[in-house]
Amino acid sequence: MNQNELRELVDQLFKESQNEYCIVRLESRREWGMRLSNGRFERVSSGWDSGIGVQAFTQEGASGFASADVLSLEVGRQVMQRATSLAERNAQIGAECNREILKAPRIEEDAEDPRVFPFEHFSLAELQTKVLGLHQRLLERNPKISWQTSYRQVEDLWCIGRSDGTRVSFVIPRALLMHQGTVRENERAQSTLVQRSGVDVGILQLEQEDAFLETKALERAEFAKAVCRAPQLPSGHYPLVIDYGLAKGLAHEAFGHAVESDHMKESVLGEKGKLKKGLKVARSGVQIIDGPLVGDWAYQPYSANGLKRETVQIVKDGVLLAGLGDIFSAEEAGMEVTGAGRAESYGYIPLPRMTNIRLIVDQAIPIPQAPSLREEIRQVREVLKEKGELREEGKHLLLLGYRGGQVNPKTGDFVFQCDGMIDLADPNLPVYQPSIFSGKILSALQAIRAGLGQGCYDAIGTCGKSGQAVPSSGGSHRYLLLEQDEQVSLGGEQG
Amino acid sequence: MKLIAHLEELLYKAQTSPVQLKLKVRDWRIVVHETQLTSLGIKDSAPGSVYTPPSYHQGESGEVVIIWEDGRLSRANVQAVSGKNAQSGQEQLQEWYQAAYEDPDGREIPAPEAIPLVAVEDRAVQKILAGEDEILFEQLSRLLKDRPEQAEMQASIQAAWGYRHVRNSKGLAVSYQESQYALSYSFDSLVGGGFAKRRLISEEEWVKTWQQTLAYYQAMQQEGAPIGPQTTVVFSPGVVDSFLGQFIVPNFVGQSILEGQSAYRVEHFEKQEQVFNEGLTLVVDPLRPFELGSYLVTSEGIAAERTILVQKGVLKTPFLRVKDAHRWGGKPTALPQGTSGLYLKHDQEGSWPEVLVGIEDGILILSVLGMHTQNSTAGEYSLSAPQSLRIHNGKIVGKTDVKLSGNFFKDLKSPDTRFTKSELETKPYLLVKTGLQTL
Repeated sequence: MNQNELRELVDQLFKESQNEYCIVRLESRREWGMRLSNGRFERVSSGWDSGIGVQAFTQEGASGFASADVLSLEVGRQVMQRATSLAERNAQIGAECNREILKAPRIEEDAEDPRVFPFEHFSLAELQTKVLGLHQRLLERNPKISWQTSYRQVEDLWCIGRSDGTRVSFVIPRALLMHQGTVRENERAQSTLVQRSGVDVGILQLEQEDAFLETKALERAEFAKAVCRAPQLPSGHYPLVIDYGLAKGLAHEAFGHAVESDHMKESVLGEKGKLKKGLKVARSGVQIIDGPLVGDWAYQPYSANGLKRETVQIVKDGVLLAGLGDIFSAEEAGMEVTGAGRAESYGYIPLPRMTNIRLIVDQAIPIPQAPSLREEIRQVREVLKEKGELREEGKHLLLLGYRGGQVNPKTGDFVFQCDGMIDLADPNLPVYQPSIFSGKILSALQAIRAGLGQGCYDAIGTCGKSGQAVPSSGGSHRYLLLEQDEQVSLGGEQG
Repeated sequence: MKLIAHLEELLYKAQTSPVQLKLKVRDWRIVVHETQLTSLGIKDSAPGSVYTPPSYHQGESGEVVIIWEDGRLSRANVQAVSGKNAQSGQEQLQEWYQAAYEDPDGREIPAPEAIPLVAVEDRAVQKILAGEDEILFEQLSRLLKDRPEQAEMQASIQAAWGYRHVRNSKGLAVSYQESQYALSYSFDSLVGGGFAKRRLISEEEWVKTWQQTLAYYQAMQQEGAPIGPQTTVVFSPGVVDSFLGQFIVPNFVGQSILEGQSAYRVEHFEKQEQVFNEGLTLVVDPLRPFELGSYLVTSEGIAAERTILVQKGVLKTPFLRVKDAHRWGGKPTALPQGTSGLYLKHDQEGSWPEVLVGIEDGILILSVLGMHTQNSTAGEYSLSAPQSLRIHNGKIVGKTDVKLSGNFFKDLKSPDTRFTKSELETKPYLLVKTGLQTL
């Protein structure tokens, strides 16, 4: 089903609807994917996933939700009726009512498709040839490593309608190329994963030309080998340099979730259910911004409730300014509605979430372009030394590669994991095994003192809030400098 | 038309009387799930909020695998056939043919075998989906009524019922009904309880789970004494489950071992290496009644049977899908569904209440932050465990924040590690000597 057909179906559903207030979400998602392992195809797959999700509201504001995986008028009507009867049932049990949706502005808009190449620009057979070629280049350059390559492209069409006449439609295109290498050294195995994302098959063409991901994969695999041989670091508190992938993790896990409007009753950044606006959370010059970027992995121009997705300056000059509010909980949480509602698919209830979150520091130290990772790290050391920012006594650690993180917004505890660490204080740049980077949200933010290099906002991930899997992204300067802080520590061996 | 009937007809015709010669199918297999699901929730102690309203979902989805006449293979995810998004049969075949690839080891379609009888459906769950759902609303009210007054509660109750159809070109045609029920709740997002099986929770299970969660929550209201060098670390069954999911499941996938992407190599299995404690057994058992990981037949058409992965600490076999079994030179094995269906046992297991009484100085880890970020192949972990419970002279006495560092493979090998049966969960408690520090 194309966007026009989705729009028509939404219009038809509302035309004859006798139901109470409804938000109707139609989604038609198409995906092609493939995975290669050590020169052979493991899997090539194609698939559709489409359906309708309806959230209905009684006049008092009790809601019910129903969904089905068929896009037709008949099924759509049944789903609307089912959602309405669930809302009525919910009202009977004394559910918490919410009528905020009635305040939402009426919008009728269709977003432009950000792709250059249409979904079927290359056939699946042609894509196999292209991805196999990229995989083989990697194998040829280092056959001793076990390589996996995967590629997927997605075309995700949405049309959202509401009983007030709102109708927005948009396409979220995504393409992702990944190389994973597993190395063995000293009877230890270590894996590394690198990714290149975009909106269409253009990423494969770029990769064919510049081999950016290939070079990164080989460098990271060499680093993984060094990690296999590396000792553990004594646990403790250190001055840190983190790469932009980790900085995205810091902004997303340690901060973004704590300013989402549905969390305010339990968030460490909330007080009596309201966002603590005006709270000094970081040094002057630290900015945190969230908002969709065209062409980005987590791009979404409208919320799943049919509101425009705003770009939000969450922290300005170190002061908490705004939160990520959806229509249902923003006012209660003391923040603006920013269209933050996102859902994994038509079958899920939208929740306030981030899109692309970036952490920027006014004090930015330039670093020259380097031909390799090793050289770049050497330059980071030199630049820090030159600027008087390097602690040469003890350890000054650079954390490389983001493996994911987790936060408890209530307690403010967060953790991240990296691929490995390098001691910049030692001119030999010794490598250490990864260990958990953990601490308290506010302490970590207060510890940020400067950025190194230009902005890099293409660190991608999948946000798993409430069991849904929704694309997320973000970044910072190429590296961020964090001061030693007693509330932010690295795990590892007993210090 | 039902999805399974549509697919069967389409593939049978493409095999016996194809419209185009190019689209002639040599062999095929299909798995289709027909599902109905209903859920209720509590957010911030309020029932049926806008984020957790009563919900219902209905759907049909599955996977098709086709071996074309030219020997290439295609896989596709498929969905309900009615509606405007439905392609015609020939369009579908064309798209699947486009996705064909060479996979000489993946061409085998197994012949039908005798299917065991396994209890995977609870009629009480079917009734809920048929409209008799009062029981779920009663459970929701009960959670709210019984919760500690000062606690902010989050909760979810889910019931699902449906059909699973497995067909293949060798004559396999299995359809059976299956159900699922899941309950989870937490107090102040710090401590939680839950239950997930293919049947409804019994009154006894409800009460015991509730009492345990409440006792942990009450213990958390006090600060515990600092940990010391002698403090024994106890991983709760939920944490053991997370460890198994992060370090055991990915390393026992046959394909990963064959491709050199696992902690283990083929020769480790050939030599039957002793990798764990000699009392330890690891089994995939899809035959246990009403467990979430139980099934009658895999999506590839392999009849359910028990598979021993590790016996007395010795490596026996990884999980083998049909293709991996072909490359491995063995038979396909049982497959876990995540960690469901995977059972870790030790030949000297005490019961938790008895073992707890004997712990003088311990810490019970109820949850950890960052498990999914750990490097599966190395076995090493470095985790944060805020809100853990101190044990002093056999009693749980207060909370403390710790971080853990160690190696899960070494924990399972160590003669010092003790295994303790849980009354409420299928995974055991583990008492380990591992790196422990104050957070």
